[in-house]
Amino acid sequence: MIDKSILLDDKTFTVGIFDDSDKLLNAVGTLKKKGVKIFDCYTPFPVHHLDKALGYDRTNISIGAFLCGLLGSLTGFTLAYSMNVVDWPMIIGGKPQDISVFTSFIPVIFELTILFTAFGMVILFFARTRMIHGIKEDLLSRRQTDDHMVLAIDNGETQDLSASEIQSLLTSEGAIEVDASRTSFNTSLTDEEELAKQLMTT
Amino acid sequence: MGHHIIQEVSQEKFEFTGRAKMIAIGLFVIGAILAGVGAMDVKSNWDSIGHHATEVVHLDDATESHKETEHGDHHATPAHEGHSHAKEDTKDLHSATDHHAEIVDGHHGPTWMTRVWANLLLNSYYFWLFAVSALFFIAVNYVANAGWAVMLKRIMEAQTSYLYLGSAILLAVVIGSRHTLYHWVQYFDDPSAPTDAILDSKAWLLNNTSLFFFIPFVLISWILIRMKLRNNSISEDKDEGLSMFKSSTKWSAFFIFFFAFTFSALSWLIIMSIDAHWYSTMFSVYNFAISFVTGLSVMMVIVQYLKAKGYMEMVSDEVVHDLGKFMFAFCVFWGYIFLSQWLLIWYTNLPEETVYFAARLEGGYKTLFAINIFMCFLAPFLVLMMRNAKRSPKVLLTAAAVILVGHWVDTYLLIMPGTVGDKAGIGMLEIGTTVAFAGIFMYVVLNSLSKANMYPINHPYVLESANHDVGP
Repeated sequence: MIDKSILLDDKTFTVGIFDDSDKLLNAVGTLKKKGVKIFDCYTPFPVHHLDKALGYDRTNISIGAFLCGLLGSLTGFTLAYSMNVVDWPMIIGGKPQDISVFTSFIPVIFELTILFTAFGMVILFFARTRMIHGIKEDLLSRRQTDDHMVLAIDNGETQDLSASEIQSLLTSEGAIEVDASRTSFNTSLTDEEELAKQLMTT
Repeated sequence: MGHHIIQEVSQEKFEFTGRAKMIAIGLFVIGAILAGVGAMDVKSNWDSIGHHATEVVHLDDATESHKETEHGDHHATPAHEGHSHAKEDTKDLHSATDHHAEIVDGHHGPTWMTRVWANLLLNSYYFWLFAVSALFFIAVNYVANAGWAVMLKRIMEAQTSYLYLGSAILLAVVIGSRHTLYHWVQYFDDPSAPTDAILDSKAWLLNNTSLFFFIPFVLISWILIRMKLRNNSISEDKDEGLSMFKSSTKWSAFFIFFFAFTFSALSWLIIMSIDAHWYSTMFSVYNFAISFVTGLSVMMVIVQYLKAKGYMEMVSDEVVHDLGKFMFAFCVFWGYIFLSQWLLIWYTNLPEETVYFAARLEGGYKTLFAINIFMCFLAPFLVLMMRNAKRSPKVLLTAAAVILVGHWVDTYLLIMPGTVGDKAGIGMLEIGTTVAFAGIFMYVVLNSLSKANMYPINHPYVLESANHDVGP
């Protein structure tokens, strides 16, 4: 379930750091046009159209939501039916104890559909985005969680353009900082020196 | 790559071609002929229609105990009962209406004219709802400061242009059919009728003042508000600035407030009072749900029609997608309201409430009842849930058609059991009338559409709508 390709471990990156989402968006467009393979972008908030600019497909998580909802519906029906009809039939309001009281199952089915979808989506979303308890947090810049946006290019990838051409492209697109070999650092081991270094550079 | 931002909306104007006019008039003519032939057919075969002895007995069993305890021996709603408590004096009832001649044994049972009137009421109400909900949608967009649907505003306004003719037809049908369709009118007009405590307790609402003054007052008020909003919209095209927008917002806020009360009252007076002994507090919301989802579906049909004709290039898939989301949402809303009404009545099982559903779960209505739930909720719910469905014109049109037919059946079920009873049916008469009304509606709406520019170009949110994006 966890997509290994989004892990940053053991990779060095050419990063361009932006302070404006429009500049980032334009930079992604320009780099894509020149044939540069971009690893990913890291932004503190959703940048509109960035997913299209990076060429990402639409997420399939909504299918997961539907399946969760379906599971919830079936659970709700099974629960209500097995309790009210099979296991412990009770006469309520003179109603029969068979499938003809389906109407009274609907609230149960409805609620469990919502519950399963909500919890299922939370779990799926965290799993898909690798935000699981105990995971090491990979950051390329501390301020990518605050007000800066990071455009990361994997140095292990073979590019049509030379490294210096890519760097000058990033600069000309308005990156406030360009670093040719950045590795991720881990925030769970709070390193004061690392923090100081990051703050000084940015 | 970057995304393309639209800076200016290029104006266009819809041309109501001779061909479209011919189609609309043709629909009306064909429908009217069909309806006329159907009516004659119904008239000549009236005695042999729909009498299924077993079903009649069932219905009587279901409602008889209720009638005897609640209304004494008064001649209550289902008219085909073969019991002996019919009074001689009921023969003198409403001699003004021509159906009296058809009455054989002292009952004021349904005649072929009842079916014609009920059918006219059904269609005049149903098509009128499209115009009402479009007006409500315009107002909601103003009050909510919503921008996404601005590019579709002229379509909504075109829909509301049916309010003039539609209100007139509806009023004429309600007043013209009052002795035939409304049991309470028959009761209050007949001083010799046996006392009916339930109807007497409702006399403060169900009376001639409501019928002759309140309904026209509401209809005319809505028309005046519609005129104000439309005039604002047209004059906004000529001069820039926010004055028209602000004025429309104020009128919209007033309209929504006014609409909530008056629409409820109209739904009680026009539709719920058919089953005069019955009541439901969910009923006006139920009618509103029908109104809104059908209005949105009609809007979708018009958008797709215009797009197919090469208009509305500026309306992106994103806006259509959101309109599809609204259709989906209000299908679910209808399902929710339906269930709320049904569940409470089913659970509490009080005879004076269950009589409504008892009549709808007997005989031919049972199938329609199931079809109604399937077409209005289940099918659109499962289909429109998918994102790709809301971006495909074919699927959207199919869904809109299913919803529109489903809610026609829904409205049919509101009106027919209380008026025509087991003599009702969907034949040439019903289909013909609907087609004729569709022709009138199409003519009025397309005519109105051709009178103004396609886009409200000086609306403050027009660019927001043109650049609208629903996101990934």
